This record gives sequence, C-alpha cells and structure tokens, in this order.
Amino acid sequence: MDSPLHHFELHPIIPISVMGVDLSINKAILAMWIGCALVFGLFMLAGKKGGSVVPSKLQSIFEIAMEFIQGMVEEFIGKEEGKKYFSFIASLFIFILTCNLIGLIPGSYTITSQLAVTGAFAFGIFILTLVIGFAKHGMHFLSILVPPGVPKIMIPLMVPIEIISMLARPISLSVRLFANMTAGHTVLAVLFGLAMSASIWIGWMPFGFTVIINGLEIAIAFIQAYIFTTLTCVYIGDVIKLH
Amino acid sequence: MPQFEQVEVFSSLIFWSLLSFGILFFLLKRYAFPPILEALESREKKIRGDIDGAEKLREEARVLKENLEQELKSAHDKAKTIVQMANSESKKIQEKTLEETQAKVRQMQNDVEREMETSRNKLLGEIRSYTAALTIASTEKFLKKALDDKEKKRLAEESIEEVIKEMQQRTN
Repeated sequence: MDSPLHHFELHPIIPISVMGVDLSINKAILAMWIGCALVFGLFMLAGKKGGSVVPSKLQSIFEIAMEFIQGMVEEFIGKEEGKKYFSFIASLFIFILTCNLIGLIPGSYTITSQLAVTGAFAFGIFILTLVIGFAKHGMHFLSILVPPGVPKIMIPLMVPIEIISMLARPISLSVRLFANMTAGHTVLAVLFGLAMSASIWIGWMPFGFTVIINGLEIAIAFIQAYIFTTLTCVYIGDVIKLH
Repeated sequence: MPQFEQVEVFSSLIFWSLLSFGILFFLLKRYAFPPILEALESREKKIRGDIDGAEKLREEARVLKENLEQELKSAHDKAKTIVQMANSESKKIQEKTLEETQAKVRQMQNDVEREMETSRNKLLGEIRSYTAALTIASTEKFLKKALDDKEKKRLAEESIEEVIKEMQQRTN
C-alpha cells in the first residue's frame, strides 16, 4: 500500500526552465488552471446578458456570493475603503475556494495543500498590508506597534511583542490553510486506501467514510477559504484604521 | 512530507500560482464582476425607487382620501342645509299662499257682501219709490171719485199695472 502522502508528490508534466529556475508545469498547476478557467467561465455565463435585473439561477448564486463577500469587506475594512479592495478580496476568495474544491475530484490536486503556495500568498498579503499602511499613514503607521492605552513604560516590551504578532500573521495564515487541506486529503487517502486494500465485506465501511469525509471536506474547503479571506480583510482593515 | 521535501517544485508552484491569481484577478475585475455588481446595484436602486414610489403613492392616496372624505362631509352638510332651506322656504310659501288665499276669499266675501248691500239698498229704494208712486196714484184715484168696492179693486189693479209697466220701462 502506497503512503497516504504519496498523493502530494509532484512530477513535471511540461518541463520549463527559465534562467535555471524551474517553472515546470505539473499536476497541481494544471488542476489550478482548470479550476480557474471553470470558475471564470461560470462567472461569464452568469453575467452574459450584462447582469439582468431579474437574475437567472446561476446569476443568483454568484450574486449571493458577491453580496456575502461585500458584507465581509464592508464589515472589516469599511464601506468606502472596502470598495477599493472588494475585487481583490473577492478574487482571493474565489481562487482559494476553487483550488480547495478542485482537489476533491479524485485524481486531481489541491495546490493549497502546498505550504510554498499558501506561504507565498500569505507573505504577499503581509507585504500588501505594509504597503497600504505606509501609503495611507506614512511613518505614523508604525504606531500600530503600540496598542492604544499602553503605559509608556511598557512600550519597549510591547513593540517586540507586536512585531512578533505581526510576523506571526502570515505564518498562521499560510499554515492554517496548508494544514487543513493536507490533513483532509491525507484522511481521504488513508480511508480510500483502506477501502481499496480490504475485501468487499469490510471495504464498504472505509469507502462509506470516504464519501462522508469528502462531504465534510467540501464544507472545510468553504470554511478555509472564508477564514483566509476574512483574516486578509481583518489585516487590511487593521492597517487602514490603525487601532 | 513531499510538501517539504520537493523543494525543486516550489519555484514553479509559487510562480504559476501567483501569476494565475493575478490573471484571474484581472479577468474577474475587468469582465466578470462589473455585470453582476451592476445588476445588484440597479436592482437595489429599482427596489429602493419602487418602495419610495409606493410610499409616495400611499401618501398621495391618504391625502386624496382625506380630501374626499372632507368634501363628502361638506357635501353632506351642504345637502342638509339645502334640504332645511327648502323645507323652510316651502313652509313660508305655503303659509304665504294660505294667507293670500284667505285674504282673497275675505276680499271676495266683502265684495259680495257690499254688492248685496248695494243691490238691496237699490232694490229697497226702488220699492220705496214704486210704493210711493203707487200710493200717490191710488190716492189720486180714490180722491177723484167715491167708488164701490169693485171699482176700488179695479182701480188698485190698474195702479199696480201702471207701476209694473213703469218698472219694466225703467228696467229696460
């Protein structure tokens, strides 16, 4: 029986190397592209008549999703400021959700189960929040390291704590998503491996669990995409409002 | 874990995932979000407009109803006043007509009485004058000759005949 982690191994399908940097296309990238193309196609289909006032079923689903994200952005960033970041946050939610869900198709791959990818996104968001903070408040942005109401004597202690807390944000953001996706797929791989290796008399049981866990994984895919996006909104909201 | 061991795939995963997200972000922002967001916004505007319009219409209807009720009330009052006025007017006319009729009847009665009085006086005058003439004529005859009863009767008849003739001549 293969290792349940064998599923996470990647092999180049189209080898590409640019100036010694490996940019090969592998299963994870293909799955991500298929997911992105699918979701973009669905969006175009939903809004093909220029978004009619009386919506189709598909348009209604996307409208609900848009309103949901809009509510989230307005809640954490603010109504006016939120408008600037809505497209980014909505795209991020859709991208992560698509990547999470596409991996649930047997034989596919979840690119969000790669720490390098979730880390890159989390780090990118961290840099983005710093850029927004400095662009909006200038050097006053550094006051984010001193929570309001802290006695002056505590400032030398609070600043390093706040720096650590800020640096921990991208780490927790990336590890949370990666760990959830990896764990879910590992459990699925173990259960499915059991179902395949056991005789039919007993094999139906792990197979049934695989189906149940698969349903659970769909919910986790939504929850993780929501958490990742919500925390991004919170981080952006924090640097805009400072405290 | 392969995710930590396969370091060589990190560069391609990071590059393609960030690039794919960038492209998806651009495409969604440019082509996919605007129609859906516009539809949401226009629907919100339409619903808000419809609600405002309905509210306005309701207010107008309320004012209209109030006005109509007021007009109806004033029309009722007016009609009541008109009926009262008509009643009192008809009563007045009735009374007036009665009074006039009574006065006319009284007048006619007086006229008739006056006429009757005149006629009676005239008749009495005439009778008096005829009686006088008759008396004179009879006396004349009696004085001229002593007459027997038969003659007296004949002379009286004669005098009456003369008086009647004279009366007839006067009437004619």
